[in-house]
Formats: sequence, C-alpha cells, structure tokens
Amino acid sequence: MKKILMTTAALALVSAPALAAGEITVVRAIDANNYDPHKSTAQANAEIMFMLGDTLVSLAPDMKTIESGIAKEWEVSDDGLTYTFRLHDNVQFCDGKKLTADDVVYSIERWIDPETNSPVAWRAGEVESVTAIDPFTVEYKLKSPFSELLYQLAQSFGTIIDKDTVEALGPDFGVAGFNGTGPFCWVEWTPRDKMIMDKHEAYTWGAPFHKNTGPASLDRITWQIVPEENTRTVAVMTGQSEVSPYIPVIALKQLESAPGVEVVRSDLAPYTYYIGFKIDKETVSDPVVRRAINLAVDQEAMAEDLFFGEVEPAYSYVTQDALDWNHDLDDTLLKYDPEAAKKMLDEAGWVPGDDGVRAKGGVRLSPLIYTFAESTYGKQVEAVQSYLREIGIDLQIESFDATVVWGKLATQEFDMYTMGYPYVSSGDALNLYFRSENIPTPNRMNWNDEKTDELLDAGAAATDDAERAKNYGEVLKMVHDAAAWLPLYHDPMVIVQSTDLETITPHNLYGAGLYKGLDLKFKE
Amino acid sequence: MTSIDAAAAVDEQAPPAIQPWWSRLMRDPIALFATAVLLAIIICAIAAPLISPHDPFATSRAVMKPPIWNAGGSWDHILGTDGQGRDMLSRLFYGTRLTLIIGVVSVGLGGTFGSFIGLLAAFYPKLEPWVMRLVDVMLSFPAILLGLALVAVLGSGVTPVVIALAIASIPDTARIARSIAVSVMKQEFIEAGRAVGLSDIALFTRYLLRNCISSIMIFMSLRFGQIILIGAALSFLGLGARPPTAELGMMASQGRDFLLFAPHIAVIPSVMIFIIVLATNVLGDALRDVLDPRLRS
Repeated sequence: MKKILMTTAALALVSAPALAAGEITVVRAIDANNYDPHKSTAQANAEIMFMLGDTLVSLAPDMKTIESGIAKEWEVSDDGLTYTFRLHDNVQFCDGKKLTADDVVYSIERWIDPETNSPVAWRAGEVESVTAIDPFTVEYKLKSPFSELLYQLAQSFGTIIDKDTVEALGPDFGVAGFNGTGPFCWVEWTPRDKMIMDKHEAYTWGAPFHKNTGPASLDRITWQIVPEENTRTVAVMTGQSEVSPYIPVIALKQLESAPGVEVVRSDLAPYTYYIGFKIDKETVSDPVVRRAINLAVDQEAMAEDLFFGEVEPAYSYVTQDALDWNHDLDDTLLKYDPEAAKKMLDEAGWVPGDDGVRAKGGVRLSPLIYTFAESTYGKQVEAVQSYLREIGIDLQIESFDATVVWGKLATQEFDMYTMGYPYVSSGDALNLYFRSENIPTPNRMNWNDEKTDELLDAGAAATDDAERAKNYGEVLKMVHDAAAWLPLYHDPMVIVQSTDLETITPHNLYGAGLYKGLDLKFKE
Repeated sequence: MTSIDAAAAVDEQAPPAIQPWWSRLMRDPIALFATAVLLAIIICAIAAPLISPHDPFATSRAVMKPPIWNAGGSWDHILGTDGQGRDMLSRLFYGTRLTLIIGVVSVGLGGTFGSFIGLLAAFYPKLEPWVMRLVDVMLSFPAILLGLALVAVLGSGVTPVVIALAIASIPDTARIARSIAVSVMKQEFIEAGRAVGLSDIALFTRYLLRNCISSIMIFMSLRFGQIILIGAALSFLGLGARPPTAELGMMASQGRDFLLFAPHIAVIPSVMIFIIVLATNVLGDALRDVLDPRLRS
C-alpha cells in the first residue's frame, strides 16, 4: 500500500506541469521594443497591450463587428464628425483607481500629441478635440469624417493608459511598469526574455462576444521569447508551452496529428505578405517590368511548396474578402505566366544580354531587394529570385537583422523590399501605404500621386458604405494597374495549443491571435 | 667580388631550407588518409561545374526530397533536395568550392601579410615594439567579433567576410613568424651574412625567409581549419554569402528550419564542414610532427 502511494506521488510529481494550475506559458518569436501603446508598431507590443489594457471599443473575432470596450455604447453624429462614447462606470485600473473620462481624454491626446511623436498618430483620425462631457461621457470630434475610426480605436494604439503612471515612470513607462484596465496586470518584463502578467481580479467589463466577460480564468500568463522556431515547436509538443501563435508552417501537419496538441486557425483576419517596388528607381520604374515580375512568380507553387499549403496564394494587395475590395479587379489580377512575361519584356525593349540578364538603354535588370534576415522572408525572396532568373532578371538580395532593417527600409537605397502586414480593411491598408505624406516609410514605394491622396481622403471621409467602397475601389484599381506590388500570399492566423485548454477562437487584430485572453481556460 | 664569393660560402653553411619531408609524412597512415580525403574534396570542389548533376541554383517543385539512403530517396537527387527544391549534391559541390576559396584566400592574404610584418619585426628590432603592440591589440578582438563588426560596416557578402577573416589571421601569424624569426636571427649564418656585407633585402629573403617559411606554412595550414569554421559561422549568421550562392555555413543555416522534418538539409553541409576542418587539422598536426626541428630529434 505504502509502495503504491509512493508511486502515485512520484507519478504526480512527474506529470505535474512546471507551472501551477491556472498558469500558462505562451512562446513567441520576438519581443517588442517597449510596451507603450503609442511608441511601438510591433505586433509583439499589440499582443501584450490587448491583455494589459482596454480600448474604447473592441472587435469581435469575425473581424468585422465592433462591440463594447471601455465604452458601453456610442453615437455617431449624422455628419460623421462627432462620436459620443458613454463609458462603463465600473472600470478600474490594476492599481485600483477608477477609470473616468479624463483618462480617455488623456490617452487620446497623448496618442496624437506631436511631442509623443507616435508613428501611429494618423490612426486616430484628424482630431478636432476630445473632451470629457461628464465623468463617464467622452466626446470625440473630428475635423473631417473618418469611416475607419472605430476600427482604429479598437487597435492596441487606442489603449487607455493612466496619466499618473505615465508621469511617474517617465521614459520607463511601458518598460519598468504599466497600469492598465485589461484582464491582466503587469508583473515583470525582462526584455528579449519574458513578460509575466497576472489576472486582474476586478475585471468584469469584457465585451459580450467573449464566453467569459471577466475576470480571466487563468491566474498568470508568461510570454516567453524563443527565437528558434524548432525550439518553439518542441516546446509545444513537450508541454513546456501551452499556446503558441508562432509555430512554423512546416510543423503544422505533424502537430495536427500529435497527441495533446490542437491546431486552430482563422482565415478571417487578413495578414498579407508582399514585395513592394520603389517605383521611381530605374530598374523597376517601367510598369512593364513590374507587371512582368508579377507574371513570373508562381504564388500557387510557393504556397504549396514553401509553406506546405498552409497559406493562400495572393494576387491582390488585400484579400478579396476584405471590406471594400473592388470585385471589378477579380479577373484582371496578374497570375503566373512566364512566357507572357518574357514576351512583354521583349516588346518593351528589355532584351537579354550575354549573361542572360535583360537590359535596356544601359539599365541592367538587376534590382536590389532589402529583406529581413529571417527564415520566412528568406524563403520568399529566394524563391522569387529563382523565378525572376527564369525571365532574365537578376535579383540581388540583401538581408538585415531585425534591429537594423527598419532603418534600412526607410532609406532610398533599394529597388524592392519585402513586408508582411495586418489590416482590417482595404481602407486601412491603402491609407497606410499609398498616402504621399507617408513617404519614405511606410510608403516605401514613393507612390506620390495627388489623385490617390484625394481618393483616399474621400474614402476616409465618406459617411456611407457605397461611397467609401467606390473611392477605395478606385485606388485599388490604380495601384493594381500600376503593379506597385508583387503580392505573395495571405497568411492565416494559426495557433497551436495544448488540448488541456479549451479550444481557442483565434483573433487576429494586428496579428494578436489571443487578443484579450479572457477565454483562455483549462478544461474542467 | 670577394663579398659575393663569401656570400656563396655562407650560403653553403646555412642548413637546407626545405627538407624532403613528404616521404616521412606519407609514412603516417592517418596523415595519408587525411591527405587523400582533402585531395578528393579539393578535386570535387574544382570540378564542381563538371560533376554536378543539376544546376545548384535552379529551384524545383520537388522540395525537401530525402537523400537516397532514406525512404523515398531517388537516384535523381542522391543527397535529396533542400527547402527550395535545389539539388543538395550539386549545392554541396559548389558550397564546398566557395567555402574552400574563402578559406584559402583569407588565410593566404592574412597569413602572408602577418608573416611579413612578423619577420620584419624580428629583422629590425627597432620596429618590434610598434608592430607587436599593434598585433596585440588586434589579437584582443576575437575573429568572429571582428567579422561581425566589419560586415556591419561593409555590408554582407563574400568580400567583407574574406577581408574580416584575412585581418583575423594577421595577428596569429605575425606572432608565430616573429618568434620563429627571432631564433633564426640568432644563428651564426645571419651574422656571417651581415659580416660579408649582404644587403638587408638579400639577408631577409635568402636567409631569414627561407628558414622560417616551412614553420609558417605549417601554422597557416593549422589556421586554415579554424578560418573555414569562422567563415562558415559568419555565413551561418547570414553575414556571408548572399543567396542564391551556395556556401556550406549558409546551407547549414537554411537547413536549420527543417531540422525536425528534413534533417539532411542541415546535416549534410555541417558534416562536410566537419570533415574539411578535421582533415586539415589532422594534416597540420602531422606536418608539424614531421617538420618541427624540435620534435624531429
């Protein structure tokens, strides 16, 4: 009897997870530079912000429906210029302080303050004023209508923060500490290692689309940085980590059949990888060259061979399901046809030289591409390089580490660049990339066109859906006709989770698959 | 007139600079084996364009095909294909070629320059403190760190890596060359050469250099293995060769992503690096045993 007891005890010791019940470890690839909602554009920042803080409104997992956040309800004036938010009256920060309209005003004002120098200030729209009408009512006035506003306010950049903490911590805000109203509270951050957060006991104001509106069922979440992708795979397979949205596609097939692991995915949230052309560089300034490059690349084979069919080949710059996609373009998208590409280049006078590389008027078709020194981008660019070799274009690859690549991508040194980006709608994508004021970055194409700017303004200011779709649709047609990009594939949100947890419904706002983490729960 | 005759007489007194060492080397079976392996590798590398079954840069839709000894392998791709569907065997030939070129060129450049300044320091004692302190400073930077810094300044590519590796080989060879040369400088024949009025250039090339060269060569051959390893490490970190070029370190790095599911993509180039480095080190050791005058007696 004693022996049996001892064996059971030993077994219990062995099988007990390293963490106490109610704790999980999420492994991910990279850390953010800081956890200040206004001072980072990193996806890693958004993942943490959604859990530590709240936004005025939130986005349901269908990626279309706006639901309540800190604001329980809101009204939009008929001219689309005034938004009135009525806040929940029971929201409080992690330190116990009650949230009032002043906190909302402070957060939005800091977001758009030129002194904050936020790279995402434009996402708040052209703000006229933000005022607290009473302790639980905020009036958000715009200079011109912004049809995207609610979607943008649901982004992590719209996280409501606490003025006292920001002022007390100064430059260390979001580095040494944070004070939010989210379902989890900041415990500790070790940069490039881990972020630990504990349950916010007082949290009860989760949006209705959550099964659990608060408080969270998990006691603690540890976000662990594991840069090596095979190590992440093994961590999930061996139970060292319960959840990871960062499992390489190569491992997914095996993990689907592995015991104790479940793979969940969502195609609803668009995340598109593309290669952009700097359209005023002589190697790619000719639209014929850009179109030929589009025709030379076989996205379907890439999706199948390099990404094991886990991604969807892309021919459009936003998914064809995205809000305001122009369906007139469906039949005009450039698809794999290398012979047509060669013919097109021949006719335009780009003829192969002795080394097989095409040239015209002394310009050799050997564009330089800047990319991330990272395996996903590496695979894409090498495949594209090989396709382009077939039609006589000699692509030069230069890759940079994550710490320097953003600076390099803001220069005028390159002809092409690679990028992957999350978006909520066509307008979101187009406003980000094709506005002339966004040159040199993120408008790295140097797309400088008055007509585009006007249409984008009209789209953003449109108060009815058809009007907005028409304006954005026209921009979509212009940029697709000009072949400003080479779209590669649309990446679904895939989360690998332990079967000990209830099945997760993946979210994907700004690539944050776990969103608020309220529904993360161990099975009973 | 007399001085020339005297120089000739001194010449005869100097020990013969190069010994018939290879016959002794070949009596050592391990050295013989290492030589054979290295020769085979060098021949494959030189003949890469002739013996490669496929274009090493041409991608195909047959990705991650296993090598012939695994289930699913085929004679078409003896060592399988990599993540982009390129033939591993052809890439291995080309990769070995580039890796060897990087090693030879950088050890050659750095070693030549290093030994030259080392010999100079021994030949002109006044220069010595300056040269050797400079070398000490260079020695305090690990080669890999130097490589990283240089690549950061010059951008990635084969040339910056060769420059970094060449610079990294300078201090070691300079020190070795100097220590060998200092003992040679104490020999009587140097004094005799000076006494008969030989020019510095003649003394340096005919007496000092000829007596030091074999020891320096051994050291450089030992160094070759390390340099190849550092070069591969830099490429592994993505700082060396640019795609689609094949380089062993880069191939290993690209194979890392497939380690769990198609290990051959990373393992094959890594094994090749291992064999090259092991063979050169074994051969270098054997050469030292044969050539080092202290070990000879």
